[in-house]
Amino acid sequence: MTVQAILAIAVFASAYVLIATEKIPRVAAALGGAAFMLVIGATGADEAFFAEETGIDWNVIFLLLGMMIIVGVLRQTGVFEFLAIWAAKRARAKPYRVMVMLVLITAVASAALDNVTTVLLVAPVTLLICERLGTNPVPYLLAEVMSSNIGGAATLIGDPPNIIIASRADLSFNDFLVNMGPIVVLLLAVYVVMCRFLFRKSFVYHADRAERVMALQEREAITDPALLWRSLGVLVLVLAGFVAHSALHVEPSIVAMLGAGLLVAVSGLTSGKYLADVEWETLVFFAGLFIMVGSLVNVGVIGQLGEAATDAVGDNYFAAATGLLFGSVILSGIVDNIPYVATMAPLVAGLVASSGGSTQGGALWWALALGADLGGNATAVGASANVVVLGIAARNGHPISFWTFTKYGMVVTAVTVLLSWPYLWLRYYL
Amino acid sequence: MHASELAEVVPTVTRRTTALEAAQVIAEHRLSGLIVADDAGIPVAVVPGTQVLKLFVPRYVREDASLAHVYDEAGADELCAALEDKTVAALFDSDEIRIQSLPSVLPEDTLVEIAAVMVDKHSPLVVVRDRAGSYSGAITFSRAMAAIASGAARRQPTTGTGGSDGSEGAEGAEA
Repeated sequence: MTVQAILAIAVFASAYVLIATEKIPRVAAALGGAAFMLVIGATGADEAFFAEETGIDWNVIFLLLGMMIIVGVLRQTGVFEFLAIWAAKRARAKPYRVMVMLVLITAVASAALDNVTTVLLVAPVTLLICERLGTNPVPYLLAEVMSSNIGGAATLIGDPPNIIIASRADLSFNDFLVNMGPIVVLLLAVYVVMCRFLFRKSFVYHADRAERVMALQEREAITDPALLWRSLGVLVLVLAGFVAHSALHVEPSIVAMLGAGLLVAVSGLTSGKYLADVEWETLVFFAGLFIMVGSLVNVGVIGQLGEAATDAVGDNYFAAATGLLFGSVILSGIVDNIPYVATMAPLVAGLVASSGGSTQGGALWWALALGADLGGNATAVGASANVVVLGIAARNGHPISFWTFTKYGMVVTAVTVLLSWPYLWLRYYL
Repeated sequence: MHASELAEVVPTVTRRTTALEAAQVIAEHRLSGLIVADDAGIPVAVVPGTQVLKLFVPRYVREDASLAHVYDEAGADELCAALEDKTVAALFDSDEIRIQSLPSVLPEDTLVEIAAVMVDKHSPLVVVRDRAGSYSGAITFSRAMAAIASGAARRQPTTGTGGSDGSEGAEGAEA
C-alpha cells in the first residue's frame, strides 16, 4: 500500500469520525475531508468533478435537487395538511386509527417523495392533531418517522441511500419497486400491528377531545386549488417518468429536473418559495462525501478491499447478503446511513461484478438497501429523518431523548430486519 | 424635538406576568411592544408586539402557516384561553424569539437618533435613560412617527417660502 493510500485512509477515517460524533457540522467534515484528499493528491479536478466512479455523482445531486424543488412547490398547496386532517377525521379521531392513517400517509408519501421532506410536512399537522386530541404527540411522531424510513425503502427516490445505490448499480425505478416493494408492503402491515402494542398507552379515547379534531376545517388548508391541481398533475407526470425512465433511456435525475422545471413554470411562484426547501447543506455534504470515497477508489484502497471481500465471499452470496444486511443495520444505526452507503457502494459493486451479473450477486444491492434503510430506524442518528423529527419535537416542547427513540427503534428494526432476511433467502437464494 | 419631550410613561411587565395580562396591557395602552422590567421595576428588555404574538400562535402553526386556516372560532378561542397558562418568561426561554438588549436613548437625543435606534434594534419602543441609568419613560413607535409627521408639517411652509425667494428655483434649475 502506498503512502498516499495510507494518508487517504487517515483523512477518510478522521472525517468519518467527525461526521459520526458530530464534533463539527457534517458538511464541514465532508468538505474538509475532500479538501485534504485534493491536497495529498489522492484526487484531482478531473477525477473529482468529471468522473462518476471517482468523484461527484451528479445524477444523485440533481435528482435530490429536483425532488426538493418539487416538494418546495407541493408544500405551498397545503395538500399534506389536508390529507392528514381528512384522514384523522375519517378515523373518527380514534387515537389508534389516527396513528394508522398517519403512518400509512407518511409511508406512501415517503416512497413518492423522500422521507426527510415527508416528515417535515407531516410532523406539524401531527402536533396539531395531537394537541386537539389532548394526547402526547411523541408516540405519533416516532411512529411516523419509522414508517417513513420503512416506506422510503420501497422506491428509488424514497430514501437517499437508495438514490446512491441506484446510481452506482445502474438500477431503475422499477427495479426498486419490484424488488423492494413487496417486502416493504409486508413490513408496513406488520409495523401497523406493532404500533398497537408499542404505543398502547397512547390510545385513550375521549369523545369531547375527538370533537375538537372533527371541528378542524381541512379544506381551508388548501389556499390555492389551482396550484394544487397543477402540482399534482406534474407529480403524476414525474412519477410516470420514473416508471418509464429505463424504457425512455432517461436518467431519473433528468426526470426530476424536468419535473421541477415544469412545476416552477406552471406554479408562478417566486424563487424564494420554490427554493425554500432545497437543503443546500445536504447537497454539499453529498458532494464532499463523493469526493472522499472517490479518492479511496482512485488510490486503489476500495479495489483492494473489494478483492479481499470477493475472496472472502467466494460463491457464497447468501452469506454475503446476510452479512451485508445485518452489518448495514448495525453501522447505519451508528452513523447516518448516507455516508455509510456512499462508502459501501463501490465495494458492493465489486462483489456484484465478480458474480458475473448473477441474480444472487445482484441481490447484494437489495441486502445493502434493506440493511441501510431499515437500520436507519435503530437509533436517533440512524437516518436524517430521525434527526429532523427530534428537532421538530424539541422545538415544540416535546423533546424525545436518544434513548427513548432507540428503545422503540431497536424493536422495530429487529422485527423488520428479521422479516427481510427470509425474504432475501426465499426470493434470491433458495 | 428631544427624547425627554417625547417620553411618556409606559406600563411595564415582568417575567412572571401571564401572557394574557401582557396582551391586556398592550391592548389597553395601544402599545406596539412590551417593556419587561426586573423585580425592582427597572426595564431590562423590550419585546416587539409581533414577538409577543408568538405566545398565541403555536410553534407548529408558525412553521406550517397553512395550519392556521384549519382552526374554527372555537379553536381560536381555546388558543386565547391558553394564554393564561403562559408567562412572559416563555419569550425569554424560546430560542426563536429575539429579545433585544434594552434599546435606549439619552434625554437630549434628537428624533434622528431615536429613529436610528428603533431601526437598528428592530424595536417599536425605546427607553429614555440618563447617563446615570435612571429611567424616565419610553418613546413609542406611534409617538416617534407623530413627531416625524409634525416635523415634516413644520418644514412645508418653509419649503414653500424657499421656493418663492428663489432658492428652490435655483436648485431646480441646477437639476
